[in-house]
Amino acid sequence: MDFSLSEDNLTLQESARTFLEKEISLSRVLIPGTTVADANYAGNWEKIAPLGWQGLVVAEEFGGLGLSCIDLVMILGAMGRTLAPSPFLGTLFGTWAIQRAGSDVQKKRLLPAVVEGRAKLALAVAESNGSTEDNGREAVMSRRGTDCRITGVKSFVIDAASADWLVVGAMDEAAGWRRFFLVDAKQDGVQVDLLPWRDVTRQVCDVRLKDAVAEPLEMDSKALWPWLRDRILLAIAAENAEGMRHVLDITVDYAKNRVAFGRPIGTYQAIKHSLADMLGLAECSNAAALYAAWALSEDKSDAGLAAAMAKAYTSDAYVSVTQRSTQIFGAIGFTWEMKNHLYYKRARANAELFGNARAHRSRIMDMVEKKAA
Amino acid sequence: MDFELPGENHPERAAIRSWFEANPRPTGQDLAQAGYVVPHWPKPWGVAAGAELQLIIDEELKRAGVVPPRNPVAINNCAQSLLTHGTQGQSERFLLPALSGEEVWCMLFSEPSGGSDLGALRTTARREGDHYIVKGHKIWTSLAHVAKVGVLVARTQPELPKHQGLSEFLIDMDSPGITVRPIIDMSGHENEYNEVFFDEVRVPADRLLGKEGEGWSLSMTQLQTERVALSKPGAIWGHGPSARDLVEGMAEIGALSDGALREEAAQVYVEGELLRLLAYRALSDRMNARAPGPEAAIHKMLAAPHGQHVVDLAKRVQGPRGMIAGEQPFPSQLGRTGHMDDWDYAYWFSPAVTMGVGTQEILKNVVSERVLGLPRESDPTARLPWSETRQQSASKAS
Repeated sequence: MDFSLSEDNLTLQESARTFLEKEISLSRVLIPGTTVADANYAGNWEKIAPLGWQGLVVAEEFGGLGLSCIDLVMILGAMGRTLAPSPFLGTLFGTWAIQRAGSDVQKKRLLPAVVEGRAKLALAVAESNGSTEDNGREAVMSRRGTDCRITGVKSFVIDAASADWLVVGAMDEAAGWRRFFLVDAKQDGVQVDLLPWRDVTRQVCDVRLKDAVAEPLEMDSKALWPWLRDRILLAIAAENAEGMRHVLDITVDYAKNRVAFGRPIGTYQAIKHSLADMLGLAECSNAAALYAAWALSEDKSDAGLAAAMAKAYTSDAYVSVTQRSTQIFGAIGFTWEMKNHLYYKRARANAELFGNARAHRSRIMDMVEKKAA
Repeated sequence: MDFELPGENHPERAAIRSWFEANPRPTGQDLAQAGYVVPHWPKPWGVAAGAELQLIIDEELKRAGVVPPRNPVAINNCAQSLLTHGTQGQSERFLLPALSGEEVWCMLFSEPSGGSDLGALRTTARREGDHYIVKGHKIWTSLAHVAKVGVLVARTQPELPKHQGLSEFLIDMDSPGITVRPIIDMSGHENEYNEVFFDEVRVPADRLLGKEGEGWSLSMTQLQTERVALSKPGAIWGHGPSARDLVEGMAEIGALSDGALREEAAQVYVEGELLRLLAYRALSDRMNARAPGPEAAIHKMLAAPHGQHVVDLAKRVQGPRGMIAGEQPFPSQLGRTGHMDDWDYAYWFSPAVTMGVGTQEILKNVVSERVLGLPRESDPTARLPWSETRQQSASKAS
């Protein structure tokens, strides 16, 4: 029994942090009026992709490292700390889907390309109201002979504008349920519109499909989605947990140095107590994310519950920590030139994507009641 | 990283289990002599158990249905100081009766002058020949009404700054001049806490623990000493009902069908589960002999308000019936033992959990200073001779 990270975990975490802190600069998005176009998505990816982090969860037979969710969380956390604008998350979500549900041929075609940095992916699953449930009808698949074609809209697709291939969830009208498909993002029938998303460190897009050629993933989508959803929830929770830890760190530094009425503001109990509360949120978030990572890696029966708890708790906590941080910085923290708002917006976006805290708490209670019954 | 607890097949388990099979109904003496009351202590008092073995012993005690001696002040906090600071004579006189539970101990620390600011205490012990004469007033003393032994912190050198002039004594609670008076708290419960008055109480000088002036460091160590245990998730300092009990109970009476209550129950539930994880991590650090992380202090800071939330939600679920003394919210949880398992009592007691063992405000200062490294709160009286600060506050008051 050892609830701590292994030496290998810590080494990976440390090297990812060091690399990203050195290589990723947010200075371009701290100029007022910037959009995600200024976030250096492509430039950052050119630096990150050679490290092979996108192959971390890919099985060794497809050229990846075949590592666990715990290792992955080390990377995601480091990216959450620096916000690291890049198509990592979208590619990760797509990779998971293909690895879990793709045919051998599909995996051989795409996974080595992902590992080598030649292919970027995105997962298009949400409806325009944000729902990722399997009853959405805004994108529909119909067959032409043996061909599958998708028409409709998918919303809030992370990293679609960078992606070469999309994994699209669409209603199979004939079968009456949702299936997941591989869609070449560069074909004529696919239009990707970048949203004027408040979190300018992340590409979030609408994807419009018109008779787009689609290739079904082999596995039954009903089996894929719960598996994929739990990992997505973990990924976001991991970003949240380390993002808020970073915000806490910079806020503590600020409170030690900023002087008002003749002493550092960190000597005032109003500030100290607020920071102590933020630490409590950050520690619980860290525990939640790591436990979920462990439970998913080990395929524990409570893994789904752990993932939902991690997403629900860290979503609220990240919003709260970034909000308090802005208040402690005072007026300067309210300006575009400071980093505070970038984290504040990331927190808000992560809280709303893939189900908000309240929705996941409702799921949690369903699971707890089921377990008790 | 591994979140599994020690398993059934752990190699050290067999020996312990067979001891309990050979001694199915052990007395406190038996358990103390076997080293199972304080397994983490060195032999002969304990078995020098690491954290993992301590957990196994706990589990095997429970499995055998054996209730270990209940003497929390001695076993959890103070008696260990005798190993490091006590005389041979003190260890021989006090340890076995303490560990076997024959002599209950109490902790005579807090005073009316301030609980969190323990260093400001006013009870004095002045040396007269081979005795100390104790005069003063202690308060919020658990178990004082049944204790045979009191661990007293008193001021022996008033001319020194507040933290330096304190000393610790092991006193007989039946000494002439000691009066114990129960405090009736808002729950109506008697003797949860007591006041203790000292009127020229004569304490033999060989009852001084350690040296004169070591009282502050001894008492700080004792307040922080915690035996490794699977931290209990109960609402009242780990005891009593937990968030899991709450959700189970609410499901049972149909309260979870109310959307607002369901949402709130979910929040409390998640918080309870995460606090469990923090406690496990603090434990695992100790089990793997790593310096403890910040989890323990943070856990205390979060667990107290969490517990209040748990009992508060249970109370609100009851509606006006919750105001009927002794009324319980969840039928299937009736008849659990331990007075903190009484939801009604736990609710009325719960305001104390953010005060006892240092107020929540002081705890947040401690967390922000020791864990986050923020500037220390300054105490203008910390470096002055204590007698001088007393004169100053007396003249201000007049």
